[in-house]
Amino acid sequence: MRPLLIAGLAWQDYRTDARLSACAVLALVAVIAPLLVLFGLKFGLIGSLTERLQRDPGVREVIPLGGGRFTADFITGLAARPDVAFAIPRTRQIAATAELLLPAQGRGVTVEMLPTAPGDPLLDGAVAPDAVDLRDVVLSFTAAEKLGAHPGDRLQASFNRQRAGEVQWRQTSLHVRAVLPLAAFERDALFAPLALLEAAEDYRDGRAVPALDWTGELPAGSAARVYPAFRLYARTLEDVEPLRQFFAERQLLVSTQAAQIAQVQSLGRNLDLVFWIIAALAVAGAVAAVAAGAVAAVERKQRELAVLRLLGFGTAALLLFVVLQALYSGLLASGLAALLYALAEHGLNRLFMQVPGEYAAHLLPMHYLVALLAVLSASTAAAALGGWRVARIDASQGIRDV
Amino acid sequence: MISLQGVHKTRGRYRLEIGDLRLGAGERVALVGPSGCGKSTLLDLLALVLAPDAADAFTLELEGSVQDVAGLWRGRRLDRLAALRSRHLGYVLQAGGLLGFLDVRGNIRLPRQLLGLADDGGVERLAAALDVSDQLDKRPAALSLGQRQRVSCARALAHAPALLLADEPTAALDPVNAERVMQLLLRQAEAHRVTCIIATHDETLARDAGLRVLRMHCRRDADGGVIATLGQAA
Repeated sequence: MRPLLIAGLAWQDYRTDARLSACAVLALVAVIAPLLVLFGLKFGLIGSLTERLQRDPGVREVIPLGGGRFTADFITGLAARPDVAFAIPRTRQIAATAELLLPAQGRGVTVEMLPTAPGDPLLDGAVAPDAVDLRDVVLSFTAAEKLGAHPGDRLQASFNRQRAGEVQWRQTSLHVRAVLPLAAFERDALFAPLALLEAAEDYRDGRAVPALDWTGELPAGSAARVYPAFRLYARTLEDVEPLRQFFAERQLLVSTQAAQIAQVQSLGRNLDLVFWIIAALAVAGAVAAVAAGAVAAVERKQRELAVLRLLGFGTAALLLFVVLQALYSGLLASGLAALLYALAEHGLNRLFMQVPGEYAAHLLPMHYLVALLAVLSASTAAAALGGWRVARIDASQGIRDV
Repeated sequence: MISLQGVHKTRGRYRLEIGDLRLGAGERVALVGPSGCGKSTLLDLLALVLAPDAADAFTLELEGSVQDVAGLWRGRRLDRLAALRSRHLGYVLQAGGLLGFLDVRGNIRLPRQLLGLADDGGVERLAAALDVSDQLDKRPAALSLGQRQRVSCARALAHAPALLLADEPTAALDPVNAERVMQLLLRQAEAHRVTCIIATHDETLARDAGLRVLRMHCRRDADGGVIATLGQAA
């Protein structure tokens, strides 16, 4: 058997029968192109929805509800979990506000203080404050805008407390390391090392803060510190529900977006199911069409196949001749279907998607490759199934008519 | 070169019986007889495309070794039979038997390609000898019947077979073209020292071409079936 020679002969015969070959190609395109569009829509829409959820760290946040009492060790243990991307203690909300002033501009703003550290997803890639220097901070966009502050500026921060009906103040100077983009955090906020928030809390509780030279009625470290809450972000969307369960098992009430995530995931699964049912039906139809095409080809080309057998083609070589022609149809149909899909994808994305990076329909190169291999495999199997009739070709019968 | 003894083949109510047929290398014979007397069936047996129902002996001596054709059929050695056919046999069919998807050059060249033989210019030489040089780039459908027959002869000889079989190669041609095709075929067969068996119903043409004539006979048996036998050399 000479496969290359057979491939060449099969191609020449395929080309000679151009109209019938075109029919075979179009029949396959009619199956493949809609499947590509369907899969592209499924992958594009679900991918974009998932991407949107993934992009917003708030979706992955696990927020403790009610007043908790968490130790630093417990929160450090949480941060070390493989399903946790970031975890840091929070101080009491009432002690987590500050009034900022940019002396050069003369503008002030009251901000909420959020503890942060390297790896904080809310920083959106901005440089985290220096963990050692508690005066190093990052400002939210709106806070910086109201203050007229820029990275490198120095701010005056004031913390107040009430003692016997009298309002008392302490001030310190802060260094603006970075300003977040608006999309990262839309409220007036100050992202600071945990130590600064602990200092503000200690001051309100009347404890001394040696790091800022603030004196107090109580000495520093006079009570073991417990935190009422923490900031915690799951590593992936899939990690949110297991984390919720982890806290629920410990009777800790938390708020998550697990339901919203589950909704998207469920939509993805349902669309998967719909896609595979349609794909299975379509592929079964295509296999039947290719097999029937092979049977018809063997019948139609009986005389030519008989001559090839007379010239020395064995059954395997004749079968290869028929299968190769089905493969040519599969290859051409895959190419044409991919082209049609690309046009449909372009149109759908223009029509339905306005956000860069999001798609109504989208396929990866790997999807095209898998589709091509699936088409070629199905074509080969179907043509071999139908083409087995070549074994029955009797050269002594066929050659009488050519 | 060819030896058949006690070879039988039945097709429906038709039965071919070859008692004894021996042909030497390079011999050129004509099988003559009326239509339906088994000429094509015998050629198909010799072309290794039809299995005998029974054979006391059926051998071909090819390149110095004796091939037990009856044994190959019994053992269903179809690939071996196909290989023998491809290497040693050339078959000219009544209507040409050309492949419509190849041009004339491709048709003539195909037996050599199947054997992996390089094109040594033999295709052009044969085409010139059989007067189809100017048709090489045409498809068979564009040729006359006589041209198709000559292309078929060229294809049958292209790979220098040991045995050339021709089934009524001139049946569809007018007398002038028939004689021309026969002469061209035999001239090439002689030039290549090929053993020739040509089935024809035109005994005069065969004798004029200098072929030894073997006549096939038909008779009815008691059940109304047809029994075809090969007579002695006429």
